[in-house]
Amino acid sequence: MSFLAPLFFVALAGLAIPVLLHLTQREKKQIVHFPSLMFVRRIPYQSVRRRKIHNWLLLFVRLAALALIILAFARPLIQHDDAAPIGAGSREVVVLLDNSYSMGFGDHWQRATAAARDQFAKLSASDRATLVLFSSGADIQMRSTSDKTRFNAVLDTAKPGDAATRYSPALKVAGSIVAESTLPRREVVIISDFQRGGWRGEEGARLPQGVTITPISVQGAADRPNLSVTGLSLARSTFSSQERLTVTAVVTNRTERSVSGSNIALETAGLPVSNKPLNVEPGGSASVSFDPVTISSKNFKGTVRLADDALNADNSFNFVVSPSEPVRLTIVDRGSADLYLTRALSIGEAPRFDAVARQADAVSDEDLKRSAVVVLNDVDVSAGLARRLAKYVEQGGGLFVAAGPRATWPKDVDVLPAEIGNPVDRTRGDAARIGALEYGHPVFEPFRAPRSGDFSAVPVYGYRTLTPAKNAQVLARFDAGAPAVVERRSGNGRVLIWGSTLDVTWSDLPQRPVFLPFVHRAIRHLANYSEPQPWVTVGQVLDASVVPRGASTQRVVLTPSGRRLPIEDEGSDVVELSEKGFYELRGDNNQNHFVVAVNVDPAEADLTPIDPKEIVAAATGGSTGGDGSQPNGIPLTAEAREKNQRLWWYLLVAGILLLGVDTLVSNRMAKT
Amino acid sequence: MAQDFQAIPGARFMDPAVLARIGNLELVARAVVDGFINGLHKAPYFGASVDFAEHRGYVPGDDIRRMDWRLWARTDRYYIKEYEAESNMNFSVLLDCSKSMDYGSRGITKFDYARILTACLTNLVHHQRDRVGFVAFDTDVVEHVPPSAKHMETVLHVLDRLKPGRPGSLKGPLHKLAEHFGRRGVLVVISDFYDEPDAVLDAVSPLRFRGNDLIVFHIMDPTELEFGFNDAQPFEDLESGEQMPVVPEAFREEYRSLVKAHIDALAQSFSAVRVDYSMLNTTQPLDHALYRYLGGRAKMMKSR
Repeated sequence: MSFLAPLFFVALAGLAIPVLLHLTQREKKQIVHFPSLMFVRRIPYQSVRRRKIHNWLLLFVRLAALALIILAFARPLIQHDDAAPIGAGSREVVVLLDNSYSMGFGDHWQRATAAARDQFAKLSASDRATLVLFSSGADIQMRSTSDKTRFNAVLDTAKPGDAATRYSPALKVAGSIVAESTLPRREVVIISDFQRGGWRGEEGARLPQGVTITPISVQGAADRPNLSVTGLSLARSTFSSQERLTVTAVVTNRTERSVSGSNIALETAGLPVSNKPLNVEPGGSASVSFDPVTISSKNFKGTVRLADDALNADNSFNFVVSPSEPVRLTIVDRGSADLYLTRALSIGEAPRFDAVARQADAVSDEDLKRSAVVVLNDVDVSAGLARRLAKYVEQGGGLFVAAGPRATWPKDVDVLPAEIGNPVDRTRGDAARIGALEYGHPVFEPFRAPRSGDFSAVPVYGYRTLTPAKNAQVLARFDAGAPAVVERRSGNGRVLIWGSTLDVTWSDLPQRPVFLPFVHRAIRHLANYSEPQPWVTVGQVLDASVVPRGASTQRVVLTPSGRRLPIEDEGSDVVELSEKGFYELRGDNNQNHFVVAVNVDPAEADLTPIDPKEIVAAATGGSTGGDGSQPNGIPLTAEAREKNQRLWWYLLVAGILLLGVDTLVSNRMAKT
Repeated sequence: MAQDFQAIPGARFMDPAVLARIGNLELVARAVVDGFINGLHKAPYFGASVDFAEHRGYVPGDDIRRMDWRLWARTDRYYIKEYEAESNMNFSVLLDCSKSMDYGSRGITKFDYARILTACLTNLVHHQRDRVGFVAFDTDVVEHVPPSAKHMETVLHVLDRLKPGRPGSLKGPLHKLAEHFGRRGVLVVISDFYDEPDAVLDAVSPLRFRGNDLIVFHIMDPTELEFGFNDAQPFEDLESGEQMPVVPEAFREEYRSLVKAHIDALAQSFSAVRVDYSMLNTTQPLDHALYRYLGGRAKMMKSR
């Protein structure tokens, strides 16, 4: 039994009140007039007699009532001995030390390591401790040992990383360690700056029964200047047949002190090319645009850099760009390039489309090799071409088929998503309309929002009956329910068939606003085109498959710190990006290499703190459990236990009832 | 006329508290005394004071109206008839009307009891043709009715309007009165005697110096004797106004022993000086007091 507000026991002095009442009450009654006090005066006055208690029952009831009420105000709680008694037994201590890059702010890291050393210094010979460095992940540095020297050595070499803070993985690691421990007392110590951004709710991080959590916050005054580059805008332009890049940096001041007279610099290929003055209001942002730079080569590296401040990790922002590559495609038609299609494909910068037109019998293997997509625009496909196209698709190529009145496909080549059937004439009566679009598909996803393109307004006067294949997906249907657009994966490539023409022979689609985005989305989808990311964030992974495996040379990843990470030929091709800077993925002969710019998570630069109790409460169970613990046995804080047990309520009721009994008893005694 | 009140036989046995409610002292006194006299139908005491005493020889100067002519006829000598000289005696009641007498716990105060007793005694004495007088005193003489055969009505009237109100003192007024009662008679002192026994005796004794017969009635309320209080309360002295806290449970036994010792000391002191002392509590019927009076009178007559 313990008490949350033991100071109320001072009120126990109030227990003297009933005693005084008992002793003084009768003298306050009416004065008795007596003929003479001659004899009374002779009797020696014994004050001790006045203190004689006459009604022990009343006295007991009153004292008990007051004592119960005082106990209620002292907020008692029963401490269930779920864990070993405090102060008895050996301890299993897990020290979770935050090494996210925000710990580099000011002296946070020095204070954090000092706090960790304090924890280790408190260990007795029978105690064991584990050191876990955590940021977005958790790394066990030392596990269940009492060797303080090693702990100190690890702390000496540890330093803040580039990742953001995430408490959940660290708590899960700590939970697994203490769960395996056989020591009677299990404690988890979290040393961190407790940023709000690091905690996203409960996240399932629960500690086992009997574990106590001790948060140690190193959050200090955040009045030191701290600027961070939170993002870049990269605008491409073409000048004198050279592609140029205009970099605009967004700088945020997260402190309450304005920054003026600072500088921001742009570096390309490791050399400074531009320097701009910078002024940012407190809690505000500023954008700085640099002069355009020419993208001179593939994997063109650049960095925007701020001057040093309290937190340097967020002062630089890296990016990698390459000269944009067009999506190459071959349009197979009847000899005259279709006006609408070529015009549509000539528009667009990201990506550009490089289309060549061929007749059906003139399509060469070279054409297929250079093309990411082949468009069959209402042509009669021979069996030979069909087989070549089937092989092309199997190898990853994309095929777009416009099934006009002349379109044929040999039945023995099974690559189309649908069998092309007889034409349907809708020139008489109402024209067919396109409806029932599959907006979840990448081709039609841009048209999902209202007023983003209305396919139902496109009249279609004729179309071919399409019978979808087994593994095909119908992406759009005509109003009568006939399939209009059908897609199918075949090998590594995709085939998409449109049941009408791409000119105005059978429909008004080329003249409608939806035509251009439809064609662009379809070609991009079939070409498996994706925008190259100029940068990624620490904690993301690098897919090494972007660089093809060489015949003899092993692929290697060069980290920003200069380490070489060989990629196993067997197994996963994924590399976790844990450092800020440029990762290089090299293939055979260093000719086919790929560069990734990695930046820190700008959200980590926001040092807004969270109340550590919130994390503790979530990890230890919060407010459920009627007996002072969670259903799974995780102990609660004393306040939570007291709140759950509500002993004060019962004591208060008992005290009030006793006061009622006191009233009844005293009234009855007064009557007698 | 006394026969008119025989319709209240046994009034003398009535609870004094009931008598006190009647209000008319004369009526009460007659009812009590007549009943009492009827009960003493052949009492040897009645008329004792008018008996013939002796003859003596005539000396010049004697009132010839007291000459016994019959004896002169037989003996031819002059004799004077002498009767009991005090047969028509003076009878005075000295009533303490101090504030302490104004206390009663059983429906009648000590003062009312004393008034009824006074009225009864006066009435009784008046029946015997004695002269009745009355004195009320506290720290001084408050009322004074000289003894006279015709003062019965006056005494009752004075008694009726008498109110206790001031603190009392025995010594001053009684010493003053002792000098006043020059002629032998019967003096009845009625008081609660809240004073030391020696002081009481010192105050009362001078009343006897001139040959007066002295009867003392000590009036006490039952509560004064038993101290039957339960709750601890402050007590206030009726005369001095002094207050003091009292826990009756703790005081009771000691108080009772002190009161008993006081009464015993008074009885012993008065007995030593041949003063008839009677302790009456206000619940006792008046009959008891009348017997005490007449018994005391008889003893005095015999001893004389």
